[in-house]
This record gives sequence, C-alpha cells and structure tokens, in this order.
Amino acid sequence: MGDLKPVVILLVEDDPADQKLIKKSMLNQKIDNELIIVETGEDALEYLAHNKSNEAGYHTPDLILLDLNMPGMGGREFLRRIKADDELDTIPVVILTTSDSEQDMLATYKLQAAGYIKKPLTLNGFRKVFSQLQEYWFVICKRVVPQEQLSCTAN
Amino acid sequence: MDALKTTVVLLVEDDAGDQKLVKKALANREIVNKLYVVRDGEDALEYLQRSKCSDVKSPRPNLILLDLNMPGMGGKEFLRRIKADDDLCSIPAVVLTVSDAEIDIQESYKLKAAGYVQKRASSKEFQKVVGGLAKYWFETSSLVKS
Repeated sequence: MGDLKPVVILLVEDDPADQKLIKKSMLNQKIDNELIIVETGEDALEYLAHNKSNEAGYHTPDLILLDLNMPGMGGREFLRRIKADDELDTIPVVILTTSDSEQDMLATYKLQAAGYIKKPLTLNGFRKVFSQLQEYWFVICKRVVPQEQLSCTAN
Repeated sequence: MDALKTTVVLLVEDDAGDQKLVKKALANREIVNKLYVVRDGEDALEYLQRSKCSDVKSPRPNLILLDLNMPGMGGKEFLRRIKADDDLCSIPAVVLTVSDAEIDIQESYKLKAAGYVQKRASSKEFQKVVGGLAKYWFETSSLVKS
C-alpha cells in the first residue's frame, strides 16, 4: 500500500543555474521524485495539455514549483490560468522566486498559490527547502490522486 | 527573515482535545506565533470580519487551520466563503481533519485549500504532523505580513 511511483514535480524555471541547483538538490531526497523542467508558462501549459489527453510519457504533476519572472507568460498569468482550469486546479502550486516583494506575495496568494518560497542562495539551502517541501506535500499532506493512478489501481 | 512580527494562526476546530494538541504543537517554535481558536465556521467568519476592522483582540491571521466536520457551518462552506472574499482569499487555509475520504480531499483542494492533513490517531503523531505543517508555513514558506 502507498505510493510506489515517484512523485512528479513540474518545475517552471528559466534560469539554467537555478535549474541545475534544483536538480542537484532533488537527488537523494527521502522521497523518490521525477523532476520535469520547463522554461516558460506557455511550455508548462503545453505539458499539462499533453497530459490531459493522456499521451504516453506525460504525467500529471503532484506539485508545481513556479518561478515568477520568466520571458513570455510570467508566473502570475500561468497561475491564474491553471487555477481557472477545472482539471488542473487541484494541483498545488508553490512559488519559488528571488522576489521578496510583498506585492508579489500577496498577488500570488490571492491567485491561490500554496506557498511562497524565496530561492535559497546555496545548494544546501535548496536541499533543506526541498526536503521540507517534500515532507509537507508528500508525507504530511494528502493530495488528490491523479485519474491515471486511479484507473491503474486493480481492485 | 523577520521574527519581529508574530505569526497569527486561526484554528477552526470544535474538539477540545484537538485544540489542545494543536496549541501544544505550535508552542515552542522558533517562529513566534499566536493561536486563536474558534469552534465553527460562523465564529470563524465573525472573527475574520472583526479582523478586517483591525480589532486588537482579533488580529488578522496569516494562516488558517480548519476542521471539516463541525456543528453549524462546516469547513467546506467556510472555505467556499473565504475564498470568495477578495480580501480574505489570500490567507492560506489548510484542512486538518480525521477524514481521509477521496471526496473530502478532492473537494477541499477544489475549494482552494492550501493543504490537507489527516489528524493522526496518536497524540505524538498528531503533534508531529502539526509541527511539520508549522515548519512549512512558518519557516520554508513566507506568509503575507498582516
């Protein structure tokens, strides 16, 4: 009983250095995870659209980590769109940003972000953050079981 | 990092035993926090209305912890109402309940809960999960300053 599949985390982040740090900090975490990286809000929506049509190779994320400042569609607009989508709105979205602006924080909480994390400066900082993130979302919290997992469960 | 401001938590919970456990779990944290407790959805809404008027005795919470099953207005209806309020909708609300029913989990997240924690049977485990919840919201995450 329990989750044998790795948890799927969709990271929406355009900075290559941060992508690297995050990838590294996800290694050897207590919980087996699959990290999918896209660089823009549009790419993230596209990924999620592929997943909606049950295409092979696309997995419904268990959690979305979202940068705010990206070229094209920024984080806020992406958040607005998925929270308005009846199939995607139950996926928790946590902001991961360099911005410490109260305005950004308030705006994203209003858009129903489920956390707002200021990017740490070191690998160890990132490791700690991801350990706590996983602890909360994958150990402490219950989440909505994606449809594909439900249909795979033999009774 | 500012530990200068106290983090305010509003607990919407009618069970006295669970109220105690949450209180205990939130005490002695590195981040100073103050816990306000109400017993059902209506009381919670009234509390939040007072907080809008800067009532000193009802400071605006940075975080809401919310049982689902309460007499009168339950958790889901309360959640629906605060998420429809342009001012209050920005306060993260985490469900803390005995239920592990898929329907409750699904509906809570649909209503924009920022987490869903099942109450554990043992007090020790209960304290542990509430402690972990506090860690995430007080330390990992930043909350809007009131």
